[in-house]
Amino acid sequence: MSFLSRIMDVKSKAHFSHGGNGRPAGATGATAFQGHRKRSASQARSRVAVVMACFGLAYCIVGGRLVQYGMTQPESVSSIGPADNLLASRPDIIDRNGEILATDIRTVSLYAEPHKIVDADEALERLQTVLPELDPRATYKKLTSNSRFQWLQRQLTPKQQSRILALGIPGVGFRPEKRRFYPSGSASAHIVGYVNIDNRGIAGMERYIDNQGLADLAAIGMTSDAKMEPVRLSIDLRVQSMLHDVLVNSMQKYEAEAAGGVILDVHTGEVLAMASVPDYDPNNPAESAKDGWLNRMSDGTFEMGSTFKTFTTAMALDSGKVKMTDSFDARYPIRIGGFTIKDFHGKRRVLTVPEIFRYSSNIGTAKMADIVGIPAQQEFLTRLGLLTKMQTELPEVKTPSQPREWKKINSITISFGHGVSTTPLQTAVAASALMNGGKYLPPTFLPRSGEEADAIAQAVVKQSTSDDMRYLMRVNAIEGSGKRALVPGFNVGGKTGTADKVVNGRYVKNGLNFNAFLSAFPIDDPQYVVLTFIDAPKTGEGGGRTAGLNAAPMVGEIIRRSAALLGVKPKFGEDGSALLVSY
Amino acid sequence: MFRTFDIVLICIMTAAATVTYTIKHKAENKLEEVRKLDAEILLEEHTIDLLRADWALLTQPARLNRLVKIYERDLQLAPTESTQLAQPMELPMPTAELPALEGEDGGKIAAKGGAKNTDKIATGSVAR
Repeated sequence: MSFLSRIMDVKSKAHFSHGGNGRPAGATGATAFQGHRKRSASQARSRVAVVMACFGLAYCIVGGRLVQYGMTQPESVSSIGPADNLLASRPDIIDRNGEILATDIRTVSLYAEPHKIVDADEALERLQTVLPELDPRATYKKLTSNSRFQWLQRQLTPKQQSRILALGIPGVGFRPEKRRFYPSGSASAHIVGYVNIDNRGIAGMERYIDNQGLADLAAIGMTSDAKMEPVRLSIDLRVQSMLHDVLVNSMQKYEAEAAGGVILDVHTGEVLAMASVPDYDPNNPAESAKDGWLNRMSDGTFEMGSTFKTFTTAMALDSGKVKMTDSFDARYPIRIGGFTIKDFHGKRRVLTVPEIFRYSSNIGTAKMADIVGIPAQQEFLTRLGLLTKMQTELPEVKTPSQPREWKKINSITISFGHGVSTTPLQTAVAASALMNGGKYLPPTFLPRSGEEADAIAQAVVKQSTSDDMRYLMRVNAIEGSGKRALVPGFNVGGKTGTADKVVNGRYVKNGLNFNAFLSAFPIDDPQYVVLTFIDAPKTGEGGGRTAGLNAAPMVGEIIRRSAALLGVKPKFGEDGSALLVSY
Repeated sequence: MFRTFDIVLICIMTAAATVTYTIKHKAENKLEEVRKLDAEILLEEHTIDLLRADWALLTQPARLNRLVKIYERDLQLAPTESTQLAQPMELPMPTAELPALEGEDGGKIAAKGGAKNTDKIATGSVAR
């Protein structure tokens, strides 16, 4: 603008300078002979030309840019609308085979604008043809009220919506809403978790997804109508619902307080199925009983009892100080600090390592731990992840508890599973490290390939220790306490654990037990670790209530029903039992 | 000359305006159509979502298990035991691949008098 005004200024000055005064003589120079008029005219013409050129250039640039913009591919952009909590969507959660575990369903809610209702009686009458459960008196009150907005019925089905639309009642409308729906109900409740009324994850993987950034996206309203990639879990819904079924039946059959189970892939650390009963219905979490909210598999710690002997034996063998052929004197109880360590199935003789494992000898196990020493025992259990908080996706993970100071008596009781409380899931994970050749893999609820697992695997025990442990587990299942877990063709190996429950800070003799069964199959080349526990059962197969009579049959049933689904082929004949003749 | 030029320009202008308006109108119609289709697609998508949820609910293993139990008498389904599973390599050889059995008088092993050591018991496979 200043450029233009200066030109106009100069031009007008030139106009007034006809007289020649006011112009320095030196400025005219060589053109002094030209007339003033002629000179100013040519000057003005050249100025106009310059201005035209400038404008032309400017328009060329504008035109050029327009052509350039026209040629480029349009970018799709959109603005962010205000957040609408009713429509905030979440990604679907699917199992490893693509079956839906959690999804958003769109529902509509019916509302009325009473000031627009022409005839409340007629409207009510017609609405009742579609919604017979509508309370006539309350609805009539709503329709005739002086307010401008009234909810009539929340969460209708699309069919009801189309029928109401077909009625053509003036003054009623629909508002879309999203609702989280869990088709599998309580079967996968503790893994998938649930959401609150604002569609925010409260527990389980739902909460994990929120912690991965979905909550922040939802807070600024970017999730309202976006299509999201489903989240795939490592769970197999078929196996999961089978496991849940077995647990529910067993809890009822053995009159127990609680039960739980997990199936782990030993080569990848994936959790194929995990359940804990009692549980809740994620579609309606508020109405469930309070004791169903605790995920006992990962958020409950228990003294695991004799299943811990698996780790003590592995520790002794891995240290190199104890060999499979060594024997230990289990004739006399150990007396220490006012406590007497006795055997439940006392043999009162010298036992070899396989016999100690098979007869579940507390004395023998304590002596093996004694040879290894307290610091090494502490270090070994930490290496297997049994004393530290487990790292996994699930938010509900409890930290195990251990004595503040490990004394000799602690070392002895811990060797057979008393004095340290761990989560059952953690125990299964540590066992899978013993079964897969000595690689510790943190458990995961998301799919993990073999290569990914190898990248994060930590070697914790020697291959030879793993081989020995598989042998011991198999012997114990065939000849020892795990007979009821055997399934023909699937070569189950396992260790029972019957722990006395602590009541008011003391162990109660002949009181209630916490029973667990830790198993792997097929034991000649383990693919899966199965752990079950049953808390405070009042009975078992054949009346007794030790782990071999209730926790072991649960494993047997789980493996019988799920092994084929898990892709394990049954083996009969000599190659299945070849392992047993190696010692 | 000047006037005819003006008239020509006016005509061109009117024509251009008409063409522009027609294009605009058509574009609006198309947009309306697109919006309608978008709404239809959205409805279909929602229906698909709902049907998938419905399918997931109907094919729940727990539900199928319950149905199998209810209709046990008609369906007569039983769980597959591990002893019922076999690998292809464990199957017996197909009869076509069996080495041919040669009896003494050209084949009929089970026939009466076919082999010398057969007992007196006549079975269903006796040749007539």
